[in-house]
Amino acid sequence: MIPRVEDDYDDDYYDDEYYEEEENTPPPDGPLRKTVRAVGELLITAGLVVLLFVVYEVYVTDLISAGMQEDATLALDKEWGSNTVAEPPDPQRHQKLNLIEGKAFAKIYIPVFGPDWGFSIVEGTTDKHLEIGPGHYIGTALPGDNGNFAVAGHRVGKGAPFNDLDLLSSCNAIVVETQTEWFVYRVLPMRDEVAGWAEGKAKSQPCQGIAPLSTTLGEAYSKTVGQEIVAPTQGEVISPVPHVVGQQPPLEKQAKLMTLTTCHPRFSDRQRLIVHAVMTQSYPKKDGFVPPEMKEQ
Amino acid sequence: MYGWIWRHLPGPLYLRIAEAVVLVLGVVALLMFVVFPWAEPKLPFNNVTTPTN
Repeated sequence: MIPRVEDDYDDDYYDDEYYEEEENTPPPDGPLRKTVRAVGELLITAGLVVLLFVVYEVYVTDLISAGMQEDATLALDKEWGSNTVAEPPDPQRHQKLNLIEGKAFAKIYIPVFGPDWGFSIVEGTTDKHLEIGPGHYIGTALPGDNGNFAVAGHRVGKGAPFNDLDLLSSCNAIVVETQTEWFVYRVLPMRDEVAGWAEGKAKSQPCQGIAPLSTTLGEAYSKTVGQEIVAPTQGEVISPVPHVVGQQPPLEKQAKLMTLTTCHPRFSDRQRLIVHAVMTQSYPKKDGFVPPEMKEQ
Repeated sequence: MYGWIWRHLPGPLYLRIAEAVVLVLGVVALLMFVVFPWAEPKLPFNNVTTPTN
């Protein structure tokens, strides 16, 4: 026969009430325990706040900037639509862009970034301006002019217009649209391409008419190549002739350059990524006309 | 801290959950629209310009 095991328990010892009290009410927290818990909770909270800041920086600022960019573009389209310019545009006309700080005056397209990549460029490069979109350095040349048309843009958050600037290679088109004209700039040969340019890439179709500036315009342009990474203090990259400090060559001897600046590496402001391009083509604006360069992929 | 807040939320359980959600959303909104926009320019990852001369 199997013995009845249950009956061997001492019912008094396993008193239900006594047992429950032991399990459900821990001893009251001492000051040490309370402090450790508070510090732990604060640390977890701090971690969550930092994570939230990343979300803000990378996504929320994008949303805010997208709204501002849209407003700026709408205002620009309205301005372009309202005061029509007599055709053919007078050759000096593009000099008279309506430059107001924080307002858009031109549009930039980089066809290799895809057909939906386009931004309105605002005048000015303060934080407030760059929140709206790429900003034109006040006082630098205007699109199509001799000198250096310099534009800054964010690389992370705030619409990140210049996120992929490091992916541009030589001869990629950068198209700038103003009220009356289209300007096509092309990224200059990279530093390591300069030596073999004539035998190498110069023969490919989009590179027609592009040569390292040092070979066509002389030594003053020897440092002006397609891409460079510089210290944040090197303002000379946006000089009319890049890297020339102080006295510049006369205006008519200056190339028609465009310079884009953004931060480098991403998520850091340790350096600046600089892209130089030279104007190769311009078209007057006509209804329904889109420069063929816009279709380059 | 969180335990203290939870114990001091009034009402039955479902109401306390609703109150807790509102509190969390309020704090997130405060961070997103007031604290972060204020703190951001002071942090070093969005300087994209070079000095103009």
